[in-house]
Amino acid sequence: MNRKDLIELLKNWQVALLIVLLVASVFFIFPHSEDGKLTTNLQYGLDLSDGTWLQMEFQAAVAGFETDRPVVDFLTDLQKNLDAEIYHIDDRKIEIRKYFTRDDLESAFAASGGRLTTYEQGVSRETAEQVKVILEEKLNALGTRDAKVNPLIGLSGISSYVRVELAGVGLAQAQEIVGKQGRFEIRIQTTGNETEHVLYGDAINTVGVPTQEPPGSNRWGVSFTLTEQGAVQFRDAAIRYGATTDPSRHYLNMILDGNVVYSAPLSPDLAAKLQVEPIRELVASTGAGQDGLDAAKNLEIHLRAGALPVEVKVAGSGYVPAALSDYFKTLAIVAFVAATIAVGIVIFLRYREPSIVLPMIGTNLSEIVILLGVAALIQQQLDLAAIAGLIAVLGTGIDQLVIITDEVLHEGKVPSPNIYQKRLTRAVGIIMISAVTVIIAMLPLALMSLSTLRGFAIITILGVVIGVLITRPAYGKIIMAILSK
Amino acid sequence: MGMGFVTYDVNRYTPRQMVVLPMVLLIVSLAILGYNMASTGMPVKPGMDFSGGTAVTLLYPENPDTLRATFSGYPLIEPIGEKFIKFGPMDDATFESLATLVNEQYPDAKIDQIGPSFGQTLQQQALLALTFSFIGMAIVVFLAFRSFIPAGAVVLSAFADITMTAAVMSVIGIELSLPSTAALLMLIGYSVDSDILLTMRVLKRQGKLNDKLSGAFHTGIIMTTTTLAAIAAMWVVAFAGEITVIRDIASVLLIGLVIDMMNTWLTNAGIIKWYMLKRGAK
Repeated sequence: MNRKDLIELLKNWQVALLIVLLVASVFFIFPHSEDGKLTTNLQYGLDLSDGTWLQMEFQAAVAGFETDRPVVDFLTDLQKNLDAEIYHIDDRKIEIRKYFTRDDLESAFAASGGRLTTYEQGVSRETAEQVKVILEEKLNALGTRDAKVNPLIGLSGISSYVRVELAGVGLAQAQEIVGKQGRFEIRIQTTGNETEHVLYGDAINTVGVPTQEPPGSNRWGVSFTLTEQGAVQFRDAAIRYGATTDPSRHYLNMILDGNVVYSAPLSPDLAAKLQVEPIRELVASTGAGQDGLDAAKNLEIHLRAGALPVEVKVAGSGYVPAALSDYFKTLAIVAFVAATIAVGIVIFLRYREPSIVLPMIGTNLSEIVILLGVAALIQQQLDLAAIAGLIAVLGTGIDQLVIITDEVLHEGKVPSPNIYQKRLTRAVGIIMISAVTVIIAMLPLALMSLSTLRGFAIITILGVVIGVLITRPAYGKIIMAILSK
Repeated sequence: MGMGFVTYDVNRYTPRQMVVLPMVLLIVSLAILGYNMASTGMPVKPGMDFSGGTAVTLLYPENPDTLRATFSGYPLIEPIGEKFIKFGPMDDATFESLATLVNEQYPDAKIDQIGPSFGQTLQQQALLALTFSFIGMAIVVFLAFRSFIPAGAVVLSAFADITMTAAVMSVIGIELSLPSTAALLMLIGYSVDSDILLTMRVLKRQGKLNDKLSGAFHTGIIMTTTTLAAIAAMWVVAFAGEITVIRDIASVLLIGLVIDMMNTWLTNAGIIKWYMLKRGAK
């Protein structure tokens, strides 16, 4: 090929795009040397990097209901019957923060004058997000190097599981970290900056969700109840240090793991009531508007001291040590190289023409490089299943290059540009249909929360999309330019 | 034929002769899967991912007898390999002590544990994914060809691919796991590849039917051979290195691709040939 042809070829937008994307991908993958070891920006899933995963199941249910009674009455009775925290999350849906079977709920609903319409074990998206925040905060506080918390939210918007991945942590240690609660304390200001102990987190019985106090005021707060003994301790301290008579000079501080997370005086109203008797139902107000709401959300988490709003049970777990993940990584590379060589040999046996075989393998590999570049860019984790997806992309990729080659080389002669374009269009038509089928076939897997196979499906879909839109049409142009010599 | 090792002539047999063998095999496969379904509730034996359990993967091989002695207090499942051992379901406390024991004895071992209810969820989702994938594929094929018999032939051969592969899995003892489900899904994509090529060539190209069929065969066999080569290489490495995830995927794909060759060039080619002859093609 002479210089002029080469420039012509580069002017083709698909070929130019292929080259631009290749360069960009290498940039995103960013291979570089760190402490004498080759590293890249690629993210590895847990079987290719050491660490632990825990998949935890929410011990809660989201249920739909129907009732002829006023909803509030129905829910009040239901709460009594179930003795569980219940949140009204939707017009006709409630979240029950305790595990019950469908049958248990059906009878409890009936006993409260209603009917169970839907049942799904899990929690609402909001609760799942809250669990994520609490777990992340707890893991960060413990200085865990690299922690990922992902609630798995199904198509119905209900989350049944939350998956925690901890890099560089063993299984037993991970379970301990996730289960561990923070140390919560309430202290009272005595004189100046001096404070005295009032109660610990074990004196807090329940914690509510952020609410407006009073309702409709747009002033936010979090309600919580104390145990009977806690309420007595609280009252005694307030009276002893003078907070009931002079609230503004005796702030109450809430402390989580040594940090003050909330500080406020008793309200005059509460101060007066405490003078008379112990109070179990308290509200910590956090201010007005969005700021008040955000502060209330944080305070709720702190009041729970790292305890989750919903109980979770470990449904599955796993641990991969560093030595084994390195071994897997090496073998994955060996498998990939072996697959490429095997493909190269078969293609060579078929066409026996380096000017066809080399562009084919080259296109195929650039497809993989671009795919890895995209994976690095979107931070898609690579695990063993995703590597298998990568090799599958290599396989379908070469299939489709064969289709293009055979279609345009029909009857052995290199056709005129006009006929060539027609044949290329037809070949691209064939590969488009099979690409769409692969994408459709992989879509359920990419959308479902089958955790470990998601990466595989996403890699396969991305690979096929990159292939049919960019690399394979570009190959059509390249092979034309080469063969017309 | 272009390649020396391909001796099948796609034009030698009548459509009826072509479809007999695959249809008999399809019926046998359905019978095997039906029998499994009736006796166990699942068409293929579910592995640990779906039935729950614990798996330990060692970095260095160990004598099975030593492993049996070390883990005698736990529900070991035979047969055990030198690097891969499985346990039946156990309670949380037992699992914790097992995890501690593994950590002490084999600090470089990988542990995976799936609870029975989680496994159940995974299994339901996997079966749903397979069903949706298949339906999605069928819709795309029908939309692409807008003609009942050619589209039906593609869908039938994809169905035969999945069914026969599942039957072979059950006969030779490959369990249904997350990786093997992934492979079956991939097979849906792979299997229609050569079917679509065949159908497009026969329906859309000009020329004699026999020429179009042998042309499609020529290209199609190369496609499947290259894929087979890639998968076989992956299988060899995964088998030698005992990477079960990749080995399972590769095994199922190898079986599936061989079966796909038969279904494409006997089932699908037979039906499309019959369809074209009926419409007066030469």
